[in-house]
Amino acid sequence: MYSISAITSISHQQSFQNEGFTEGMLELNDSHTLITPDFKQFIDASLLRRMSKVLRMSVACAKHCMELAKLEQPDAIIVGTGLGCLVDTEKFLNNGISLAGLLPPTAFIQSTHNTIAGQISLSIGNHGYNMTHTQNVVSFEHAMLDAMLLLGEGSGQVLVGAADETIPFLEEVAAELIPDCGSKLTSGSTFLILKNLSDLPGIVLVAVEIYTNYQSKWEVIKTFLLGNGLDLTDIEVVATAQNLESENLELLQSGVESISYLNFTGVYATASALGFHILVDKLIANPKPRYALLINDVAEAHLGLTLLKKREA
Amino acid sequence: MGVSITGLGIVSAIGLTVEENLASLLAGTSGIGHCGTLEGYEGYLVGEVKQSNEALTAHLAQSTRILSRTSLLGIAAAKQAWGNSPASKELRTGLISATSVGGMDLTEKFYKSYLKGQSPDFSILSRHDSGNTTEEIAKEIGINGYVNTLSTACSSGANAIMLGARLIEQGKLDRVLVGGSDPLTSFTINGFKSLMIYDEQWCRPFDESRAGLNLGEGAAFLLLESEKSRQVSGNTALCQLKGWANAADAYHQTASSPDGKGATMAIQNALKKSGLNKNQIAYINAHGTGTKNNDLSESTALTNIFGTEVPPFSSTKSFTGHTLAAAGAIEAVYAVLAIQHGLLFPNLNFQNTIAETSLIPILKLTSNHRIGAVLSNSFGFGGNNSTLVFSEND
Repeated sequence: MYSISAITSISHQQSFQNEGFTEGMLELNDSHTLITPDFKQFIDASLLRRMSKVLRMSVACAKHCMELAKLEQPDAIIVGTGLGCLVDTEKFLNNGISLAGLLPPTAFIQSTHNTIAGQISLSIGNHGYNMTHTQNVVSFEHAMLDAMLLLGEGSGQVLVGAADETIPFLEEVAAELIPDCGSKLTSGSTFLILKNLSDLPGIVLVAVEIYTNYQSKWEVIKTFLLGNGLDLTDIEVVATAQNLESENLELLQSGVESISYLNFTGVYATASALGFHILVDKLIANPKPRYALLINDVAEAHLGLTLLKKREA
Repeated sequence: MGVSITGLGIVSAIGLTVEENLASLLAGTSGIGHCGTLEGYEGYLVGEVKQSNEALTAHLAQSTRILSRTSLLGIAAAKQAWGNSPASKELRTGLISATSVGGMDLTEKFYKSYLKGQSPDFSILSRHDSGNTTEEIAKEIGINGYVNTLSTACSSGANAIMLGARLIEQGKLDRVLVGGSDPLTSFTINGFKSLMIYDEQWCRPFDESRAGLNLGEGAAFLLLESEKSRQVSGNTALCQLKGWANAADAYHQTASSPDGKGATMAIQNALKKSGLNKNQIAYINAHGTGTKNNDLSESTALTNIFGTEVPPFSSTKSFTGHTLAAAGAIEAVYAVLAIQHGLLFPNLNFQNTIAETSLIPILKLTSNHRIGAVLSNSFGFGGNNSTLVFSEND
């Protein structure tokens, strides 16, 4: 088990520098915009100018996490991203097709997926393990598994998170490929500091698992909980990508608080990271619940399960 | 817990199999030549895989699918490395692939046609994301446990190998197919050209006159197995993966630091992890891209660690071109071949030493050496530095 010593997100919710944000969470509508901080407070103006949305959001979240945890340097930086730095990728792709002669290199330099983790390491002068996972909608969960692996190898504190950014072109793609997408395509960034379990009260990460090619989702979930000595009735808060109300009567009858997290996060490849933050915040804010379960079932091909618990004083 | 390498697979500019790659390395034949497949890039020197998408697709179980060249190259290499390994319910099996461009080869064709106002098939874009390129490889091999993709630019392939080894060491997996794949794209050629580090002549790693890299394409995979897995699969250990490390240079988004800090840390930590003494390293397969900046910084890092006794080293990118996310995996295959066959591979196109460091790479193929251990470097954008250490079986 692992302790979460800081967490923050930039999203459509008041989730940055604001513990207890889930109290006032609103479902996204068409007029909703990303709520961004004053980036200049976190990033040098000369660097900020060149940074795309996903880079700004990620560096700001990373730095704020370190402030919250009063941490000078993490031992490692691990990032999950489904589609990487889309703004710069599209810009360089466009330039390559439409411009003649020598192209400006900045967009190319910032197009690689690991620009996010790289810019964080540059911003804070970190020389530790630096990794970028990109596995579709379970990229955040893969980053978390890597962080847990590192802690098992003796790392002290790991900065881990996920970020994705949208571009207008993606709307067009989504309209063609997933016409019944339903929720709003957007961007988001969540970072946290993970360390080995401490005796202090707080929120504890119990387990993360990723499943591909599974038969029955709810059977997998029950087996996952059983492996952690729990059953469905132990779970008091659950966040799912799909609508729980049409899915699991058994769980609802047990009085679980259910959150369809995409309604609050909007749609991006690593939206489950904000789902994770929502659950952490719920566990912190409310006196009652002890166990929370994140079910990342946004795509049929992948299932990500994350179990959290509150450790009392 | 030991991590054995039991299978190798590779497609590169110097061959479509391990045997063909070895033959080219022995003959000193580079695969870099004038670009033949990308329209508008005919004058460029590149390391192309001499097989078309159509020919690569013909090998597939489902040959009607349209896949990115990234997946196609990956599948060809992954199949070789997997060999006849048996399916097994008692073994936890994984696949970790690395790519820097994902399905960009298809996306850039789509986008060109889209910008012209034609109505291209949007379903092509479902192949764009890097994760998809790996999922397609997993489907073809039949792996559905842990399936993951790493993307850390030019160190990605080495990182995939490292992550696989860590998962085995911590008992999370019993066997894992690890490697990387990247095709040639206009996107990456334009990119390195925009940085003014694309050499119009043959790349000359570690030479004073070096002026940049030649891009290549390819894929390589290695099968890593625990002792338990080998007992079930019956596969023979070719050699051992002993050490690994990743460190951030934290100097500049693309340039390496003059003191080679990140590279030095990666080499040092990988050696420490391996438990080997630095004088046991018989060969270093360098990152050696042929850029002014990398080769100087890497030479400095080698000197930081080895002092005046830098082991024989070479960059095999003079054979394959720089294959980006595949490079770490392709060069890992060469590291295993060096140990298996007792070979030191030459660094082609070298004439004069870099003034600041005076290091001379291996100039001629040397055989009949006992190569007990090999160190392999892979460094990427974002200051991402990785080192792997391979050794003969205990």
